[in-house]
Amino acid sequence: MSPADSADRPGRLRVTYSAELEQLRLQVEVMGVLVDQNLERMRQVLETGDPTVAALALGADDDIDAMNVSLTERCYEVLARENPVASDLRLVVSVIRASSELERVGDLALRIVKAGLDHELLVASPRSFDIAQVMASEAVELFRDAMRAWATDDVDLAARLSHGSPSIDLAFAQLVETLLQLDGPEATAVAMRTLVAGQALDRIADHAAILGSRLRYLVTGDQRHLAAEIRR
Amino acid sequence: MAPDQTAPTTTPVVPTLASPPEVAPEASRSDAAASPAPVVFDVADLSVYYGRFRAVREASLQIHQHEITAFIGPSGCGKSTMLRCFDRMNDLIEGCRVEGTLRYHGIDLYDAKIDPVEVRKRIGMVFQKPNPFPKSIYDNIAFGPKLAGLKGNMDDIVESALRRAALWDEVKDRLKKSAMGLSGGQQQRLCIARAVAVEPEVVLMDEPCSALDPIATARIEDLMQELKTQYTIVIVTHNMQQAARVSDRTAFFTTEVNETSDTRTGVLVEYEVTDKIFSNPSDERTENYVTGRFG
Repeated sequence: MSPADSADRPGRLRVTYSAELEQLRLQVEVMGVLVDQNLERMRQVLETGDPTVAALALGADDDIDAMNVSLTERCYEVLARENPVASDLRLVVSVIRASSELERVGDLALRIVKAGLDHELLVASPRSFDIAQVMASEAVELFRDAMRAWATDDVDLAARLSHGSPSIDLAFAQLVETLLQLDGPEATAVAMRTLVAGQALDRIADHAAILGSRLRYLVTGDQRHLAAEIRR
Repeated sequence: MAPDQTAPTTTPVVPTLASPPEVAPEASRSDAAASPAPVVFDVADLSVYYGRFRAVREASLQIHQHEITAFIGPSGCGKSTMLRCFDRMNDLIEGCRVEGTLRYHGIDLYDAKIDPVEVRKRIGMVFQKPNPFPKSIYDNIAFGPKLAGLKGNMDDIVESALRRAALWDEVKDRLKKSAMGLSGGQQQRLCIARAVAVEPEVVLMDEPCSALDPIATARIEDLMQELKTQYTIVIVTHNMQQAARVSDRTAFFTTEVNETSDTRTGVLVEYEVTDKIFSNPSDERTENYVTGRFG
């Protein structure tokens, strides 16, 4: 084949652009790791009420927020400059949306950390305390599944996630049931603190499901997954 | 090409060509998938040869009434060749021959009884480079209707065509001046006015904006949206964003290389509603092309 011929043959183009898209994808994973670390701190604080770990979580959340801002700006820049279409467009749109989901999970984790600092109150009701621990483990696992699905484009895992988690729903119902039965002078304070944490854990599980839907849209292009959580 | 045996050979050719069904043009871009408009061109297994060289291989697609259909693809993929089949412009090229069928409202356009000149009255063409006649603006428009023997007041015909091409206000005071004094964008709109002056049903456009600046391009694109309420438009464009902006359906063509014989031929890869082509194309080759990842 002559050089003139080879110039006509298909070859890889837009190398810088491809690298930028790959970076966006990686940034979601990096942000996911930061959120994961904070979820682990959240679990520790919920279990032990350790204020040092809580302080670390508060500081790390600022990094997560800053990353959400910079990643969003980067996506807008790609939209403005490169006019992405097809799977590229789906990637950029999905990164914007996933990044705000991750930021939201980070905020919810902080809400639990703050509730967890009232350790004395939470342990005053051993049964609800135990249920909250179970919910925390389940929520963290769901979040990890979501990030694993993103890292490997695992549509099956994403599909399972997007259907929600019956076990965490059940645990939350049990938590509410337990709190309603509390009595004694501190019952209201215990119930309110625990409920705040329980609700936030339930929402984290919801966000893991939404991340699953986002990935399903990214990989398949099927518009049903574009706003699945609204249609549900 | 052999006359198609299924064609209604007793039907008088000209009157049939002249009477497309009336359909209210109400479909917007997003409606294209939901309720397909009537078919204007029905292309089945169309191959086009220049001598022994096969430029397009067995393409099949349908062009719908009052829609804008865009043909995209790399150079040499056969999209312009395909476009030129619709008004039998390829007849003017020696050695060009067509296999398969191309029906216009059910009539085989390549039937031996069809007069290509009659076809070109129904199906207008706008070219890449604006090509006004070196005459006055008025004469550029009046030429076609005169030749076609259109009845009516010629001043009205000229004004109506210029209005439809969104050019009237800019040229109404200098109709007798040379068309060559117009800007590139105005010249192209003049060519569109000239094409619509003979009351065609279809307007074909072969890269109509590639010689124009972005402002003139935007004008033509707006104009296309207005024109599609009255005409069916097929456009060849190298500008993918333009296809995404203006068209209801998009056909992606590419070049297939035969390594053994070292010959290449144009193939239709994917033909879909435009939103689908640019958000979630089915074929990997389309994906690679529209994302600009491979060329």
